[in-house]
Amino acid sequence: MQAAVTGTLVLVGAGLMLIAAIGVVRMPDLFTRMQATTKAATLGAGLVILGTAVNFATFSVTTRAVAAIAFVLLTAPIAAHLLGRAAYFLGVPLWEGSVRDELRDRYDWETHILDSEVRPEGALPPDHPRA
Amino acid sequence: MIGLLWILLLALAWTAVNGEFTGGQLAAGLVLGTLITLFVRAPGSDYLRKAVVLFGFIGFFLWELVLANLRMARDVLSPRQRFAPGVIAVPLDLETEGAITAFSTLLTLTPGTLSLDISRDLKVLYIHDMYAADAGASRMAVKSGFERRIRRLLE
Amino acid sequence: MNGSFPVNGFIEVTAMLMMSVGLVLAMLRLVRGPSLPDRVVALDLITMLGLGMLAVYSMATGQTAYLDVGIVLTLVTFIATISFAYFIEKGTGRGGGN
Repeated sequence: MQAAVTGTLVLVGAGLMLIAAIGVVRMPDLFTRMQATTKAATLGAGLVILGTAVNFATFSVTTRAVAAIAFVLLTAPIAAHLLGRAAYFLGVPLWEGSVRDELRDRYDWETHILDSEVRPEGALPPDHPRA
Repeated sequence: MIGLLWILLLALAWTAVNGEFTGGQLAAGLVLGTLITLFVRAPGSDYLRKAVVLFGFIGFFLWELVLANLRMARDVLSPRQRFAPGVIAVPLDLETEGAITAFSTLLTLTPGTLSLDISRDLKVLYIHDMYAADAGASRMAVKSGFERRIRRLLE
Repeated sequence: MNGSFPVNGFIEVTAMLMMSVGLVLAMLRLVRGPSLPDRVVALDLITMLGLGMLAVYSMATGQTAYLDVGIVLTLVTFIATISFAYFIEKGTGRGGGN
């Protein structure tokens, strides 16, 4: 029973991480790649660690496993948010199949201020600095 | 002072229930005791209702996480790329910084969305969405699911 | 410690194999880029895969200390990713904050 639970958790987790890796290669732009890694790799690593905890079933391993899972769940979105935003303002292009970009017109590339509304004069802000 | 006493009592109870008196058990008991006293002594609230909301929220979050991964797997593995990604602006009803932080962090782990940045006046959150063809529908989905629940929990 | 009964060889080998393929794919993205953030994403994924591999390895050998290695590895990479993001943003002239 314990072995079955461990095996399922570990294999599903490893499979999710493999899917994340395939996504990182296959996805067309940085942001879709990040979608793949933040979700699949987070849950995948969490499941593998959970499987380890079930396998050992001791107090010290379980506390460490819970700490590791909590840590991964907390840090992955924060790292993704910081990196995504830095990349956007660096001018990493969106995939040409992207259907909309509501951020672009609300960001002032000169002053680096991000507004909550489109700028009133309707003039498009200067282009990506390095597009 | 009385709070510290409670924490110590809870820690001792934890070690007793676990049946072994070790440093690790005591440390875990202290952590749990602190969390419990913090939770229980929140001013002006009935704990039971809050606990129900909290557990409902955790369940909802785990379900969303699983759903996010299923969709991600489909997007990655299907031979034709059918997603239509884009950046959309989500106007926020949340007001406190803590709630906004929690919202944007959890949003990254839910289906198809990745939070990018927030406007200077903290009124609009910009997210990357895998299915942005209908921006209005995306906005609605995000707001009625997560934001409503976080508001009930934190504000 | 009674924690060293191996699940059975098949599961560990299969999981390791899957994660190794993932590692190769992530390395491909690391080499190919094209932008610096792409490489950072690949590095992040490599750390996650390393964490998973360490966990499976700790099961295979019964050595729980590998779990600690994994936790420290994720910690260090988190700091690294944040500093990468910080310097990328500095390079755009936007400064550290908003």
